[in-house]
Amino acid sequence: MEPIIFTSGLKKTFRIGKVDVPALRGVDLVVQEGEFAGIVGPSGCGKSTLLHVLGGLTPPTSGKVLVDGNDFSSMSDGDRTRFRRHKIGFVFQRFNLLPTLTARNNIAIAQHIQGNGFNPHRFQAIVEMLGIQDKLNHKPYALSGGEQQRVAIARAVICEPKILLADEPTGNLDSENSQIALNMLRGLNRSFRQTILMITHNPDAAAVADRVLRMRDGRMLLD
Amino acid sequence: MDTKMVIANLLHRPARTIISILAVGLEVGMVLLVVGMTTGMLNETSKRIEGVGADILVQPPGSSFLLGVTNAPMPIKIGDLLGQRVPHVLHVVPVLVMFNVSGGVNLVFGINLEQFKEVTGGFAYHAGGPFTGPNDILVDDLYARGNHLSVGKTVNLFNRSFRVAGIVEHGKGARLFIPLVTAEELSGTQDKASIFFVKCTDPGYIDDVVDGIRQVLPKYEVRSIPEYTSLYTSNNLPALDSFIAAMISVALGIGFLVIFLSMYTTITERTREIGILKSLGASKTYIMEVILREAGILCLVGILAGEAGTVVVRRLFETYFPTLYILLTPQWELYAALLAVAGALLGAAYPALRAASLDPVDALAYE
Ligand SMILES: Nc1ncnc2c1ncn2[C@@H]1O[C@H](COP(=O)(O)OP(=O)(O)OP(=O)(O)O)[C@@H](O)[C@H]1O
Ligand SMILES: [Mg+2]
Repeated sequence: MEPIIFTSGLKKTFRIGKVDVPALRGVDLVVQEGEFAGIVGPSGCGKSTLLHVLGGLTPPTSGKVLVDGNDFSSMSDGDRTRFRRHKIGFVFQRFNLLPTLTARNNIAIAQHIQGNGFNPHRFQAIVEMLGIQDKLNHKPYALSGGEQQRVAIARAVICEPKILLADEPTGNLDSENSQIALNMLRGLNRSFRQTILMITHNPDAAAVADRVLRMRDGRMLLD
Repeated sequence: MDTKMVIANLLHRPARTIISILAVGLEVGMVLLVVGMTTGMLNETSKRIEGVGADILVQPPGSSFLLGVTNAPMPIKIGDLLGQRVPHVLHVVPVLVMFNVSGGVNLVFGINLEQFKEVTGGFAYHAGGPFTGPNDILVDDLYARGNHLSVGKTVNLFNRSFRVAGIVEHGKGARLFIPLVTAEELSGTQDKASIFFVKCTDPGYIDDVVDGIRQVLPKYEVRSIPEYTSLYTSNNLPALDSFIAAMISVALGIGFLVIFLSMYTTITERTREIGILKSLGASKTYIMEVILREAGILCLVGILAGEAGTVVVRRLFETYFPTLYILLTPQWELYAALLAVAGALLGAAYPALRAASLDPVDALAYE
């Protein structure tokens, strides 16, 4: 079966003034559909950058990137935006909820942006699974970190993305809330075969994943 | 959905929202008041000329249509000549027009009451009565109200004290009337008039009489009253037209700058939120729409505030400055609104484009 994520020789170089900063130096990665993969590695090794490239937030500098059959080398900015809109869900360390909207509207806006309208069944199922029914009318400032992250996870998966990309989702949570969030991700992976790629510094988190990928200096380490 | 977000954002910064709305309101109000006051004044003046009840107006050669602007009077004898030489002329009434600029700009008609009555049918007195001496003055009811005058009070004009002899219903040429002899004395002339009001024996003869007067007085400005009053538009007053254009530009500039600044601040402050929307897959168009919609709401509420404010200002003017008439037309209310929309769109365009073209990763990392 064709892998949902395939990269080979993926490079990403940032240019700061006149200096080139290589963040990814040739990443070879294969992730199968339905897999829950963790990514670990020292700070600055390029984990976030890899997620940004895979999610289409930023174009690769060179190398081959195929995500769900989309070849990034031939995609414009607009193409990547469309791709992201329909196939990717992001979860961030800092939750990144829209501060002026209620939890409900934070979730609904993802459906609105996707353009397929509000799907009440999906909404209900996700909200119940994440246990945030009672918090839907709260704005982010009135939610605990753990609740905010659960709303963020709901927002990320409400449109049934092909891939959930999570960048240190437990990084701002205490251990109890970390465990809850990880269980949610695990649950999503189990019940919906949600493909998840999750960056983490947390050994507990890594343990939840099916497989742990190690990165160093912009490359994957072979096990 | 995004409307909810737009409104939530506007409510999140109430002070900025209110200031922006007020600025747009100011823009709209400025346009409406400047245009309303100038057209109102012109309109009202031309109505008063109509209200005299004459059929034709005769001015000396080379006169501006604006009464009192040129002051090279013609001999009153000419008037008698017209009555004798031109058929179908019923009355010729001389008026010496003076221009008073102390305490507001006002036309003063120097008239002979009996003659003036021939065309106007006479004044309707609210109080008092006709001139009894050379230093008597008649003022109209609006001028009296605006200047808190009553019969017997004194009005100073042209370095002379006039006694208010009567307060008359407005609408007959000028707001202030003094005896013709006094006006002549004040302007150092004798038996001269700056305009003639001509009344025909029958309105059907107006065109014939205009032609007849032109034959007798070839170089004189001779116009039927409708023709004359049709000149009262800002198009015929280049200076006024430029003034209106300048004020409209200033208003547009205010709207543009405030919306620009407001939206620019907004996108700077919400850079990360824009990054979040982008991470959710929002297109450039989507982001631009959100920003433009926010500006649009500010603009719409501002327009309503401006139009409502103008109505209030007009009410206040009616009460406190009854002689200043503000004309609000639906046409200009629409123009002012369109102008505000244009200013807001221009002002929001750059911030919207800038927001749309933000790099999503940078935006997400923005503190
Ligand atoms: N927008 C950028 N411009 C310039 N350099 C960048 C940019 N983003 C990342 N880098 C650089 O690329 C390298 C990899 O950064 P990245 O954020 O991917 O690391 P990371 O593995 O996620 O680290 P951490 O665990 O601390 O989050 C770093 O050296 C970083 O300084
Ligand atoms: Mg990182």
